[in-house]
Amino acid sequence: MKVFVIGSGPIVIGQAAEFDYAGSQACRALREEGCEVVLLNSNPATIMTDLGMADRLYIEPLNVEFCERIIARERPDALLPTLGGQTGLNLATQLADAGILEKYGVRTLGTPLSAIKMAEDRSSFRGLMREIKEPVPESWIIQTPDELQDLLDVAPYPCIIRPAYTLGGTGGGIANSREELWEIGNNGLKLSMRSQIMVERSLLGWKEVEYEVMRDSAGNCITICNMENLDPMGVHTGDSIVVAPSQTLSDVEYHMLRSASLRIIQSLGIEGGCNVQLAVNPDSFDYYVIEVNPRVSRSSALASKATGYPIARVAAKIALGKTLDEIENQVTGSTKACFEPALDYCVVKIPRWPFDKFTTGDRTLFTQMKATGEVMAIDRTFEDALMKAIRGLEVKTKDLRHTKFMGDPSEGIPPMPDDELKEMVRKPTDERLWALAEALRRDWGVDEVNRISRVDRWFLHKILGILEKEMSPSADPVSFKMVDTCAGEFESSTPYYYSTHELVGDQVAAPSHIC
Amino acid sequence: MASTVLVLGSGPIRIGQGIEFDYSCVHCVWALQNLGMRAVIINNNPETVSTDFDTGDALYFEPVTLPDVLRVAQNEHADGVMVQFGGQTAINLAQPLFDAGVKIFGTSPESIARAEDREQFDALLESLGLARPRGRAVRSVEQALDVAAEVGYPVLIRPSFVLGGRAMEIVYDESQLRSFYRAAEEANKEQPVLVDKYMMGVEAEVDVISDGETTLVPGIMEHIERAGVHSGDSMAVYPPVSLSTEIQSQLVESACRLARALQVKGLMNIQYVIVDGKAYILEVNPRASRTVPYLSKVTGIPMVDLATRCAMGEKLKDLGYDAGLWTLDGKPAEPSKSFEPAYAGHIIPEADFVKRTAKIPAPQVYAVKGPVFSFQKLSRVEPSLGPEMKSTGEVLGIDRTYEAALYKAMIAAGIHLEKDGVVLITVRDEDKPIALEIARELHGKGRKILGTRGTAAFLNEAMVPCEAVAKISQGSPNLLDWVMEGKVAMMINSPSADKVAEEEAARIRRACIESGIPCVTSIDTARALAHAIEVFSDPSRSSCLTVQEYFAGAPVSS
Repeated sequence: MKVFVIGSGPIVIGQAAEFDYAGSQACRALREEGCEVVLLNSNPATIMTDLGMADRLYIEPLNVEFCERIIARERPDALLPTLGGQTGLNLATQLADAGILEKYGVRTLGTPLSAIKMAEDRSSFRGLMREIKEPVPESWIIQTPDELQDLLDVAPYPCIIRPAYTLGGTGGGIANSREELWEIGNNGLKLSMRSQIMVERSLLGWKEVEYEVMRDSAGNCITICNMENLDPMGVHTGDSIVVAPSQTLSDVEYHMLRSASLRIIQSLGIEGGCNVQLAVNPDSFDYYVIEVNPRVSRSSALASKATGYPIARVAAKIALGKTLDEIENQVTGSTKACFEPALDYCVVKIPRWPFDKFTTGDRTLFTQMKATGEVMAIDRTFEDALMKAIRGLEVKTKDLRHTKFMGDPSEGIPPMPDDELKEMVRKPTDERLWALAEALRRDWGVDEVNRISRVDRWFLHKILGILEKEMSPSADPVSFKMVDTCAGEFESSTPYYYSTHELVGDQVAAPSHIC
Repeated sequence: MASTVLVLGSGPIRIGQGIEFDYSCVHCVWALQNLGMRAVIINNNPETVSTDFDTGDALYFEPVTLPDVLRVAQNEHADGVMVQFGGQTAINLAQPLFDAGVKIFGTSPESIARAEDREQFDALLESLGLARPRGRAVRSVEQALDVAAEVGYPVLIRPSFVLGGRAMEIVYDESQLRSFYRAAEEANKEQPVLVDKYMMGVEAEVDVISDGETTLVPGIMEHIERAGVHSGDSMAVYPPVSLSTEIQSQLVESACRLARALQVKGLMNIQYVIVDGKAYILEVNPRASRTVPYLSKVTGIPMVDLATRCAMGEKLKDLGYDAGLWTLDGKPAEPSKSFEPAYAGHIIPEADFVKRTAKIPAPQVYAVKGPVFSFQKLSRVEPSLGPEMKSTGEVLGIDRTYEAALYKAMIAAGIHLEKDGVVLITVRDEDKPIALEIARELHGKGRKILGTRGTAAFLNEAMVPCEAVAKISQGSPNLLDWVMEGKVAMMINSPSADKVAEEEAARIRRACIESGIPCVTSIDTARALAHAIEVFSDPSRSSCLTVQEYFAGAPVSS
């Protein structure tokens, strides 16, 4: 079978190296299964555009015209649309809408385009959610400035504006007033490929949780892992500090959200990987379904690295019709891809923002992503993983001390006044983590910092704990442990390691030296 | 027992250090494995191929900092580390790792310092008789003013040892120098500030592979924007389209001599500016650069594979490579081993360049790299190009004509020009002659042109129709209204030294970004666009072929 794969194109904010990782894995998986791969990507800096990755490699512009020229000369049997990010998915949709896929008899593999449209079109998605009784926040689909005008009087403020069919939430925002809704809404209408925006009740301050889930054509569904944002709702996930697995959910909440996520992919009929974003009320069991990404995403790359489960590879095999119980788990070599990974460690991701270069840029974080990259750290506790991630950012700040907030007597910089600090604690920016730490250092107390920032008390307690040890540097890590997807339940041999302060490590050393 | 080599990754993706370095790290790992070695990766970026657990023989998901690298090296009993593929993050650890007793494979820390430390590098160039723009490293604003007075304005001012041209500025007088000095000093407090004569000319770039004796230049890239635009933000074309054989000879000769003098074992990147028929060295990076993946793919030379082998002590001659410039033949390639070229070609010997007898064949195919920006996501960021890098990604346009390759790089980077689109031109005075050429081309292809009153008068006088539109300060309807109402398909605007004009222009550029209108801020990019206008008007003039068909002359199936 000849399969056409569309990559994600150039690296832009919102669409980075994760699609090279996913695309390379997918190409390899397809060829492993005997497919001939025709690849299109305009980005020469990627591994996936290496001469040996595909059977037929096209480095041409990513647009409908070139796709059609390639399809006409290659006559592929099928198209795999869900591994090239939003760019690849949008192109596949355009090709289908233009009748090009039908004209050349190209079928799509994996999640059907109808399911993708269902997940991405707000109104049909809401309809489906109502059908399966999953709560969605009240919202309105707006397609013209006139409709927007009518909404100004009835919308609940603050409300969130999300344009449909854009990259990384481009053009979205939060409106506190009629004027802001009018301005952001009109901008969103212009930026949306379909001139469509959604305006919805703001859930600012709720917990934001994501589930990475997979489903095969036989209807088997599993959870790869869940992730919790340290930043409450209102900040783009790509700009949030993310923890895996979730740390502040009770067992009841964890399973309630897991079941909801699995019901959602089952009802959509996803065949491959999918990401479900949920908002959870910190004071009750209320939750809302925020969004579903019916494709491999930045979050799935993070989930893959956090668990050792190769989501893109398994998704490619599912797209070819394999079921989860037939696909091998490469890490253990003895279990199948239908085992849900288990984590005996904590993972922290921190985004890397470009404001050290763009010093005039607006550092406020909202629904539009601004980070260019991210770091991940693995350790046995949240505290250690957080500190390791900060160290790895390669910015001036190596720990929770930041001159901007603490001041520096030797440089004549005074500490930031309390009222300014309070604003930095309230408003999400790339520096808020350090502002939270400084507020706790000033003994404002966990409850007060939680009230201002809405960051969960659990995280604040942990940060407080780190501060208490701040003056006495912790012991050097002395052992390495293994990421084995199963928390030691099965024998595992893949050499994927992280360091930890714990004295007892897994048996980790170069095999040649053990022999 | 197999040797264990620790490959340092490049950490999180940021402007100036992107996915290109992950490409090089992954290829280094594969090359080491081909050599029968055990390749261990340390990196903390979850988005990448290098941190896929089945890329290396072992993966340590750890920050790429000195203590972390030392702990992993110790745990693995590594025979040494590879620092030249993980960008500035990794190369900066060369000396401290060496000081801690770790073996560095490839170019020695001493040589790295000779290339990166300004004073040592100046001495080296002097001893080799190679030219560079005049200037010095300074530690105070007074010294900076002295250097500027000595070499004459404009001067380029920048901090040393920072990434992506951060806090780099071209300054035209003393007051500008005074105001920018502080920013350059702040950007890297421990290190001196560099002040150099700013030279306007065509820029060129090479990446070379060397074993310390033999040096292979896989290809020369010519920048489309003249000096003053960061190399990461420039469009670049391989092979060069305007560099004479004499200039190319100077480049190959100096690159080979530099690599020998520095005892490079692996990759090195050199950037040049060409003024009055002479090549001046702007910058040397003793490591894999941003252009390695692109150049590897368009030349067919497995650059990282060869560089890794050199770093591990192999000799290029033993691998079948001589010193000189690799050139494509356009004939089908033989099936190859990992270290052999993917496309058919030959090496023009270094000696021919030294003797100035080299014959460079006419190109069969062109590859244009174009930068891609994310300004739409970053409010309040100024989108005009300058010495500080701003792009987040890149695209490649390949075709059998230069025009079509330019066209592809531009549309792939989001520079669209609808068939009947109106082009708004507003440029500074010194760019007006080139703007006239561009306007003439655009008008010739039936495009409607708008301009500020000054630009319009200038064009009309030269018999190119151009409708005059008011500046913002001249009342409505003005340029901004045209842009906001979506009546403009593209804007060509070069930043001006005039403060008032520049503030207006900056607002209009931002408005273009917000409205999704392509905004070209370098007159040279605009000239390239005009050059490709035929293809914009008729895209069927471009080809659509596989990479192998373009470069290896593989038979083209219809």
